[in-house]
Amino acid sequence: MTVDEYTEAEIQRVLTEDVDIAEQGITVVRREHALILCGEVESEHRRDEVVRRVRELVPGVPVTCDIGIIRAQAPSEVEELS
Amino acid sequence: MIRIAAVGDVHVDKDVVGRYRPALEQLPDVADVLLLAGDLTRHGTAEEAKCVASEFGDLGVPVVTVLGNHDHQCNQAPQVVEVLEGAGITVLEGTSTVLTIGGTRLGVAGVKGFGGGFAGRCASNFGEPEMKAFVGHTEAIAERLGAALRSLDCDVRVALTHYAPVPDTLVGEPLEIYPFLGCYQLGQAIDSAPTALALHGHAHAGTERGMTPGGVRVRNVAHPVIKQAYNVYHLAADSHPVDASVLVGRH
Repeated sequence: MTVDEYTEAEIQRVLTEDVDIAEQGITVVRREHALILCGEVESEHRRDEVVRRVRELVPGVPVTCDIGIIRAQAPSEVEELS
Repeated sequence: MIRIAAVGDVHVDKDVVGRYRPALEQLPDVADVLLLAGDLTRHGTAEEAKCVASEFGDLGVPVVTVLGNHDHQCNQAPQVVEVLEGAGITVLEGTSTVLTIGGTRLGVAGVKGFGGGFAGRCASNFGEPEMKAFVGHTEAIAERLGAALRSLDCDVRVALTHYAPVPDTLVGEPLEIYPFLGCYQLGQAIDSAPTALALHGHAHAGTERGMTPGGVRVRNVAHPVIKQAYNVYHLAADSHPVDASVLVGRH
C-alpha cells in the first residue's frame, strides 16, 4: 500500500485518540516507499506501542522508528533571572 | 533569591513511575518549590493521578500544579485533583497560592489555559455556537488568570499555565497548529500584573525561552523541550518584568 495524505492523517489521529497510545508529539515522515516516525516519549513501552500500532495501520510499508525516550536526569545548571 | 524548579508534560502512568524520582530526591538541595505545568497524566484517570502522587508527592518542597488537556481526557478532573491534593500537591485553576520562602512571599497564580491563537491570526468569538464556546472558554480562563495575578499580595509573582501565552516558545512546532497550542489572551492576562516569570508546557516541539509583549519572561518547561527531570530558575526577591523600553526593536 502507499501512504497518502489521508493515511498520514489517520495515523496521526490514531496516535492521539487511541487510548493505548495518546501521544500528540509523534511526527510521521512520508518517504517514497517508507514511513519514518520521529519524536520523543516517556518510556520504551510507549515507543514500542506506537511502532506496533502504526505497522498495523500500514501493512507492507517499511516503518522506521526514530523515536527517543526523554531523559529524566537532574539538571546540572540553573538559569539566573534577575 | 527564590529557586523555582519546573517541568510539564510528564505524562505519568505505571510505566513511568520511578523514572523521575532519583532527580527529584535532589530537589530540596536545589529548589524551594516545584511547579508542574500540566499534563501530569496520559488520560486523566484517578489511577494515573495516584502514580503522579507517588512520583511527585512527599518531595520535601511544596509542589504546585495546573492540569493540562490530557488530564481532562477521561472527564475525571475532580477525582484527579482529589488524589493530587490528598498527596499534598496544590492544584490551581483560576486560583493562586502564596509561599513564604526565606522571608520573600512567592505568589503563584495558575490556570490550564486554552488555545485560540495569537494576535492577528486567532479565532474570534463569532459565528457558530461551537466557535463561540471555544473562544469563550479561552477568554474566561484568561480573565480568571489575570484576576488571580492582580489580586495576589506577594513580593514575586509567577504565572503557571499549561497552554502557551506567547508564540515565541512555540518555535519548532508547525505554524498551522499554533492556535491549538496557546492564545494571546493568556499573555495579556500575565501582562496585566507585574509578573516576574510565566511557565507553561504543552508545546513538545517548541522552544524554551520567550517573552510577553509586556516584558515578562516566558519559559516552556515541557519535558520534551527541557530534556531533563526539571529546570531550575533563580528569581531575585525584587524580580519584575523587563523594562518595556528595551523591547523596542525586538522582532
